[in-house]
Amino acid sequence: MSKEIYLVIGISVLVLLLITFIVSFVLYVKTPAPKGCEDMKISEEKCASCSHSECSFYKKEGQE
Amino acid sequence: MSIFVSFILAIISSMLIDNVVLSRFYGICPFLGVSKKVKSSLGMGIAVVFVIILATLICWPLYNFILVPAGIAFMDTVAYILVIASLVQLVGLFIKKFSPTLYKNLGIYLPLITTNCAVLGVAQGNTDQGFTFLQSLANGIGTSVGFLAIIVVFSCIRVRLESANTPKAFKGLPIALITAAIMALAFIGLQGLFSGIQL
Repeated sequence: MSKEIYLVIGISVLVLLLITFIVSFVLYVKTPAPKGCEDMKISEEKCASCSHSECSFYKKEGQE
Repeated sequence: MSIFVSFILAIISSMLIDNVVLSRFYGICPFLGVSKKVKSSLGMGIAVVFVIILATLICWPLYNFILVPAGIAFMDTVAYILVIASLVQLVGLFIKKFSPTLYKNLGIYLPLITTNCAVLGVAQGNTDQGFTFLQSLANGIGTSVGFLAIIVVFSCIRVRLESANTPKAFKGLPIALITAAIMALAFIGLQGLFSGIQL
């Protein structure tokens, strides 16, 4: 196979990976949380030592 | 030496001698952040094992059969990040849908796996060091199981430290960091256990 075909395949795979990520992210967000986990709050005992500012729960707490 | 024996030795080597946390200092964030309770550290460790092994299985062929022949090997980091992020989302989706108990225990920690540099470090290291597929797989399994073992052992120590009579200035993270340093020193003692493993 010529190099151009490999290049097209390579770029297509990267685009496919991007699409896979976007689709999986949308599906993850749209999937309802299991019963009892709808409104998970920060657990002091679990999160006390963590300062991960990108964590969605960290942000939620900061906004309130 | 048979391939199987070499494979097992390579796993033990990357698990104990070249431990990802204690000798390469990857994945320190979850190591310190999610090691306060044994249960959550075990869940985090198992999720990391799953993601690292799957990422290794996908990233090695992706690099060697697609990116290198296409002449875009410099895009490897972007491709690996996309693979890891997609895997984490898919694992999260699966857990959310089919295992409510595990989601309850692990749900808020799942996105942290994406930012765990141990996952990217393994995939990048496999290609940078020119490993074969079998070597990459051994490295992936060894590294991830090493991460699991260390985070669980460390969380057990931290649970005991909470009830220990620690000086006030050392309570919490300082004593945890000192413990991690002592563990790293202990693991240096294992260096040179195996040498010249060929797969």
